[in-house]
Amino acid sequence: MEPKKDILWRVYLCYLCIIAVAAVILVKIFFIQQVDGNYWRSMADSLHDRYMTIDAERGTIFSADGRMLSTSIPYFDIHMDFMADGLRENNGEKFKKNIDSLSYCLSMLFRDKSATRYKQLLERGYRSKDRYFLLKRNITFEQYDILRNFPLFCLGRNSSGMIADQVEKRINPFGLLANRTIGLWRDNAPNIGLEATYNNYLKGTDGKRLMQRIAGGVYIPLEGYQIDPENGKDIVTNINVNIQDIAENALYNELVSNEATHGTCVVMEVKTGKIRAIANLGRQPDGSYVEDYNYAIADAAEPGSVFKLATLLSLLNDHYVTINSPIEISTDYRFGNRIMHDAENHPTEVVSVKEALEMSSNVGFSKMAYTYYNNNPQKFVEDLKKLGLDQKTGIDIAGEVKPVIVTPQSRTWSNTALPWMSIGYEVLQTPIRLLTLYNAVANNGVMMKPYLVSSIEQYGKVIKQFDPVVLNPRICSDTVLKQVQSCLEGVVESKEGTAHKALDNPYYKIAGKTGTAQVANGRHGYADHIYQATFAGYFPADHPMYSIIITILNKPHAAHIYGASVAAPVFKAIADKLYALDFEKQVPQQSRPVFDSTLQIKVGSTDELKAILTKLDLPVSAGNVPQPYANATINNQHIYLKPVETPKGLVPDVKGMGLKDALYLLESAGLKVTVQGKGKVTNQSLPPGQTVGKDNSIAIQLS
Amino acid sequence: MKDHNTKLTKGLDWPLIYLYFILVVIGLAAIYAVEHRTNEDLLYALTHFSHHFAQQLKWAGIAAAVAVIILLIDSKFFTATANLFYVFGILLLLLVLVIGKDIKGSHSWLVIGGFQFQPAEFTKLCTLLALSKYLSSTETDFTKLRSRIIASCIILLPIGIILMQNETGLALVYLSFFLVLYREGLPGILLIIGFSIIVLVLSALLIEKTTLFIIFTVVAALVIFFMRKMIIKRRSVLMYILLIWAFCGTFIMFAVPFTFHHILQPYQVSRINVMLGKEVSRGADYNVQQSKIAIGSGGWLGKGYLKGTQTRFDFVPEQSTDFIFCTIGEDFGFVGSIVLLLVYTLLILRIIMVAERQRSSFSRIYAYGVACILFFHVAINIGMTVGLAPVIGIPLPLISYGGSSLLTFTMLFFIMVRLDADRQMVLR
Repeated sequence: MEPKKDILWRVYLCYLCIIAVAAVILVKIFFIQQVDGNYWRSMADSLHDRYMTIDAERGTIFSADGRMLSTSIPYFDIHMDFMADGLRENNGEKFKKNIDSLSYCLSMLFRDKSATRYKQLLERGYRSKDRYFLLKRNITFEQYDILRNFPLFCLGRNSSGMIADQVEKRINPFGLLANRTIGLWRDNAPNIGLEATYNNYLKGTDGKRLMQRIAGGVYIPLEGYQIDPENGKDIVTNINVNIQDIAENALYNELVSNEATHGTCVVMEVKTGKIRAIANLGRQPDGSYVEDYNYAIADAAEPGSVFKLATLLSLLNDHYVTINSPIEISTDYRFGNRIMHDAENHPTEVVSVKEALEMSSNVGFSKMAYTYYNNNPQKFVEDLKKLGLDQKTGIDIAGEVKPVIVTPQSRTWSNTALPWMSIGYEVLQTPIRLLTLYNAVANNGVMMKPYLVSSIEQYGKVIKQFDPVVLNPRICSDTVLKQVQSCLEGVVESKEGTAHKALDNPYYKIAGKTGTAQVANGRHGYADHIYQATFAGYFPADHPMYSIIITILNKPHAAHIYGASVAAPVFKAIADKLYALDFEKQVPQQSRPVFDSTLQIKVGSTDELKAILTKLDLPVSAGNVPQPYANATINNQHIYLKPVETPKGLVPDVKGMGLKDALYLLESAGLKVTVQGKGKVTNQSLPPGQTVGKDNSIAIQLS
Repeated sequence: MKDHNTKLTKGLDWPLIYLYFILVVIGLAAIYAVEHRTNEDLLYALTHFSHHFAQQLKWAGIAAAVAVIILLIDSKFFTATANLFYVFGILLLLLVLVIGKDIKGSHSWLVIGGFQFQPAEFTKLCTLLALSKYLSSTETDFTKLRSRIIASCIILLPIGIILMQNETGLALVYLSFFLVLYREGLPGILLIIGFSIIVLVLSALLIEKTTLFIIFTVVAALVIFFMRKMIIKRRSVLMYILLIWAFCGTFIMFAVPFTFHHILQPYQVSRINVMLGKEVSRGADYNVQQSKIAIGSGGWLGKGYLKGTQTRFDFVPEQSTDFIFCTIGEDFGFVGSIVLLLVYTLLILRIIMVAERQRSSFSRIYAYGVACILFFHVAINIGMTVGLAPVIGIPLPLISYGGSSLLTFTMLFFIMVRLDADRQMVLR
């Protein structure tokens, strides 16, 4: 009985053991999965299969001439993990050993703090056991490259605790230039400009990489779980940095001298609608000017007299008048309960429509509009709509404001709406919209859509090209166009023209229209005497290349308020420079220089003269000149070489020669030469042809 | 007798075979899950022989063939050849010492024609057969010390060689045979002593040695105080107490620190420390940490089959071999873990039941041995994945990837099934 009992006891114990162990394991699993489950799960999420974003490089915005307007540059923020294993090892042995040299190196690199200061900083961080201690922000790659090799830091992330976080910074190499249009790419503010409009192209696609955490808190990429980033594409704009610079400067100078509130200036290529420059400057409280708002596209205001072009086009298109039709104008004219004024007092007289535009007669235009459209104001509105004046231009940048044309159906329509509309009130227009209209006149009636981006490139290859777009192939008949163009030219050319004083010049013709609109200032109404000065036009009027609009909002009670005196000078400054720029480009190919007596050719070696004149591409007929020296004469735009006699034993004729040739000839003839002056020989003391005696000396005069 | 033998299935213990089959299938499924990638289907896994799944499937096929062969062999074959097996096994182990290959830090592998084989696994079978043979022999009287020493030597000889191969984990498995000896009459006091020593080692590791020594001294003093009447009656009691006290003292003050500093490898010390929670080394506890994350992220019902991310993305090292349990824990959660443990417990209890119904002591001892090996493997393997046991790298029976392991367990298992099938016929 005893052994059996013993065995049974043992067997039961075995059973018990097994079940006990199984139970212990179960309990442990229960703890892992249930009690501490959240902890382990959080570890799983945060530490292990972690997708890390691989940032795509943002594309660059280029100017038309291939210069970078906005690009991304990597910067680094340097942090320290003072709890890094290697750093804390052996009671901070590495840290203590390297801190002095490291502080010195840091101080030498950044030159912003002394080595002692850096040492204090590091020691404070070390004591605080900070795991993400900010050492230095925004260092460049070059600096980072040096920093990496510093004592301690060169030991790597684990031993030094140095963490370098790469941040991409957007920089505009040209600073202020077209800043508002190029746009801003910011972390904590809305993005604007081309940066925002073309963001889809610029941003690229971020990649993803599955990272595995391995011992030591280091992440390593897992093979086969990576989506490569696609870098952003580059944007090539139509903006020409030179033109932009000219425009921005001209505008800036005018704004500064007038202390104007803000101003905008857009330069457009007539044939294509390409925006070559777009400047927007606003006055800051401290009196400086910065690109603070895209006034050109986002600021719709009552344009004033520049709008008369639209009225004129409408009248001509509807065949109500020609530009020679007579119209009686006066200083004042009453429409219902409102009185229309002309800007300047003048006697009541009859002028032509053309003259009315040139002197910008409000009375003249409002009377015509009233006369022909009062019965059917809708017709006038429709005419304006045909010119697109109630539509956005569709320029490829976010933020364009839709212009407003009052219609007879709208609640704000009044009896006086029509006459005031005809002179540019009761409507809201953006500078870009008006410029598009003026550009159409310049472009023989073809209205082009303004656009900023010409192509999208990737790795230097064009992947998308934007071609000019025609908004309206024909805004008016050719006859009307000719009349309108002559009117706009008259504004500058005619003595009565509003812009004559500011713009007329003998070199090239400008066509355009001034505008001065009184601006209502909130609850002050029109009492503050704020005026918006505009000049819109194009040049050279014969074969227009650029159309330009300048709109400047003057400060209250400004001394100069008129489009002619505030905006037109900016136009002039820009047009002069652009004309000169284009002229320079065209001169060498266009024609040969005209030469006259101003062309100086010294008498000299026949071979040398021939070589030089041929090289310069001058029309020279050398023929066969027997003598080694020749004199060049100009006859009928042609250069002839005449031989110069240098007989042996006689004093040579060196008049007209340079010193080199004269000296050589005289001395080889056995003469002693004294020289005065410089240039070419004008006088020689011994007459040519005289026999050279012994020890004869000769004095030559050069000038 | 012959008539019975011709019938392959006659007398087989079907519950055992079912449980075996379930475990092998779970193993295949788990290995498939470990390697599974979302863009690959079953066909892909089947046709890529470099993958563990296809390999394991091949081994399962071989194991099935081996199982059938074993079932066809007369059970007397095993008793007759047991010692031969043992000698062969020992020779194989020695051969490994000479021509073995180093794989993952242990010099325990034979590479024959591109196919790796770990004899230490196979020798488990040999040792068990020899042990059963010796203990069941009529000449052996296990109450005698001599027999006990011989039996111990049968176990300790392979342990010694395997330790020389630097494969500590598998060597420890052989210790489980001492449980068999216990069942066969080894005095419980030895196990108690063994257990006490383990407790002593653990406390020596956990508690500062001087403090521990003071505690022991106080305990000894208290024991002496409470047993003073007994001591007065019999002086020898005092002697025993003082001896135990002195032994404990030396043990904790010298033996344990000495072992730690001079005998064990640094990584082994580190693993033990990690298990005891004394050390949080990123390197040493990384495996266990990963394993716990995988299991912990499973929750009650798991993420679903093939849905686990921790095991799938190779976060857990050795996940198709030693840490295969993670996959089950992650994909099937707590419920899945319970089911798996239940299957193992049922299997082991069933084996003990089978063992106890044997008329032949050879069969009984053999079956006990199988139970002990299984138990040790399962307990240590799952224990290490959940951080209860030190990481000693032994596979989870029938589930972990590995041909040697699967074949050895299959042979162990089916020899037992064969022996059991013949239980009615012979009284050995």
